[in-house]
Amino acid sequence: MAWVTQFVGGDGTRRKVFREAVAAGATVRSILADLSDRYPRLREVLWERSGGDLGEHIEVLVNDAVLGLSHTLDSEVREGDRITLLGQYTGG
Amino acid sequence: MRYPVIEESTVRSDDPVRQDLPGGYAGSLLRVDLTSGRIWTQPWTPAEMRQYLGGAGLGAQLLWEEVPAEVGWDHPDNRLILATGPLAGLPVWGTGGLSVVTRGAMTNGATSTQANGFFGACLKYSGFDAIVVQGQASRWVYLSVHDGVAELRDAAFLLGKDTWQTQDALHARHGLPGHQMSVYSIGPAGENLVRFAAIAGDYGHVASKNGCGAVMGAKRLKAVAIARGTKALRAADPQGLFQAADEIAYDLKTNPTAKSLYEYGTLWGVLNLHGQGALPIKNYTTNIPPEGTDLAAWEAPSLRQGFDHRGHQCNACGMHHCHMQVIPTGPHRGELVDEPEYEGWAGAGWAIGCTDPVAISWLNTQVDRACVDVNEFGWVIGWVMECQEKGYLTKEQLGGLELRWGDVEAAARLLHMINQRQGFGTVLAEGVKRAAETVGGPAAACAIYTGKGSSPRGHDHRARWEEMLDTCTGSTGTLETGPPVHPTEFGMPARINPFDPDAVAKNVGTHLGRRHFEDSLGACIFTTRTLMENLCRALSAATGWEYRKEEAMHFGRRTAVLLRAFDLRCGLGPELERPSPRYGSIPVDGPAKGQDVARHWEQMLDVWYETVGYDRKTGRPLPETLRALGLDDLIPVLWGPENRRR
Repeated sequence: MAWVTQFVGGDGTRRKVFREAVAAGATVRSILADLSDRYPRLREVLWERSGGDLGEHIEVLVNDAVLGLSHTLDSEVREGDRITLLGQYTGG
Repeated sequence: MRYPVIEESTVRSDDPVRQDLPGGYAGSLLRVDLTSGRIWTQPWTPAEMRQYLGGAGLGAQLLWEEVPAEVGWDHPDNRLILATGPLAGLPVWGTGGLSVVTRGAMTNGATSTQANGFFGACLKYSGFDAIVVQGQASRWVYLSVHDGVAELRDAAFLLGKDTWQTQDALHARHGLPGHQMSVYSIGPAGENLVRFAAIAGDYGHVASKNGCGAVMGAKRLKAVAIARGTKALRAADPQGLFQAADEIAYDLKTNPTAKSLYEYGTLWGVLNLHGQGALPIKNYTTNIPPEGTDLAAWEAPSLRQGFDHRGHQCNACGMHHCHMQVIPTGPHRGELVDEPEYEGWAGAGWAIGCTDPVAISWLNTQVDRACVDVNEFGWVIGWVMECQEKGYLTKEQLGGLELRWGDVEAAARLLHMINQRQGFGTVLAEGVKRAAETVGGPAAACAIYTGKGSSPRGHDHRARWEEMLDTCTGSTGTLETGPPVHPTEFGMPARINPFDPDAVAKNVGTHLGRRHFEDSLGACIFTTRTLMENLCRALSAATGWEYRKEEAMHFGRRTAVLLRAFDLRCGLGPELERPSPRYGSIPVDGPAKGQDVARHWEQMLDVWYETVGYDRKTGRPLPETLRALGLDDLIPVLWGPENRRR
């Protein structure tokens, strides 16, 4: 959403919606990895440089819930699930 | 700290730069006793500079040494410490920093609250690292500092003026407009001892927490005006300082999170926090925006472009953060206002049910000019609106005023009643905790506050447990750790589940001390959002010390312990470290729906206490923690026979 779209070919405003076919066994991680393969700038900001963990810059939500509630990074994704990428909170 | 005193009613500091000083320091504290009218300078040693740095660190030490338990926030012997730090005035971004440290009115405990602009730079160029105010003037005065000359002057002509009018009047009186003079003052709220009164300066910068403006009002000190002096300020290693400043600037411009700050300040906060269920809407009654809200208008570029705007940078700052803007439409069309920070959009807007950027922008500046904390303002007004909607407060109680969600004009009228302590405004001027306790009944359950009485930031912390824990356990009158910056630098994971109580508490505890260090440098926390090693490199180049992040965290934790010890001495113990029922309630909708922080509260406290090395039962830093921080002299004070009986 918004600020994050600059890393997936947008201008840093509005939404950029990707509708992806979900293969059997696809997980939140694999969906995000596929997207990162298509957008190298996203790879740089989404993931930790070492290892396969998420970095500190982007918040990942599945069906409007942050990771750790209904889904983890390795949870399977079903048809109709919605993954949202949000900019990190930057203070007041 | 015990030093020789030079007694004068006005003081002139014509000394050349002391050659024994580390770079970045002016070398003296300016002492002001308002009761006697005495002003004097107090030199401090290089060893003390390294130990206390400045800002929050220096303030915490002075507060601990000079304000005993029986000296409450409004007692003349309370200290109001306006301190800057070793980077202030040097060519590092955002280095006009001011830390206000005092015993504050909201908690009647310690406060460390920051603002920027040019105050810190002007103070250093005038030959001082900090101003320490004590006593109470017999009539309203302001403190004038001009190139080493300090005087107390009659402030009768400033009374009743808001903070912008006060700055205008002092610029005119001294013939020093614009950045030639930095003015920090209180508005009508501080004059009338509103408990959540703030201190604001340089048109839009506010040291807002814990009623520091009420402390200044109790001392009858209307303003501090500092001309941009001409005294030399040297860095020990100028080339190294430029290199470090460049590295910090590069990091701010390229780090993905910091880059959003660099480009738009905190304007992205509304949408980002809304997505996580952490945007406070209508006094925590919902997390769903009102019907018809155009969220696209809340994207940072849209927010900024919706106004005729100009950059309003602080000292030496290259960020596109602070802006002034003109109200484009409506009843206040054409008025000049300060572009709200995220906290302003929340406190003067979403928390009170208003989602119109133009209306919020106007109200936010009225709050700054009258000079109260915009967070507490949001909780007070939102509480009144909810209580009136539910019939817990009547129109008659409010002097005929009706406050419906989102009505900023009515909110401004209530702000005036609070500032003047008119009618029910007197009750509200005490802050929402005390107002709720006064009204009682079902209204009391709707109020958002901490057990200590401090004001949560303008977030819905029911979706940000880190900040709720930080705010409730903090000893600065606000959160004291803040959101982690580069957590992997401290061996912590880059990201945690925000609803995992153990991970949350460990995160908050592990980062304790970093913010205290940042707040002691005389720089802005938005420009210190970089690696600690970069900050330490800048500090080393400025001072000539070899300063590393281990020393920075040692210093920060030591400062946190001093503030905690002060709070304990003031009677603010662990039994108060809890959210109010509404603050700790379960969200009924939105992304954090159903998450119950209260269920995990004790568990989070257990982990946090273990992480920071404090005693869970008494709240005291453990003897081994004190020893590790070089605070052995606090062991008999905190753990002596008298305290053991408690």
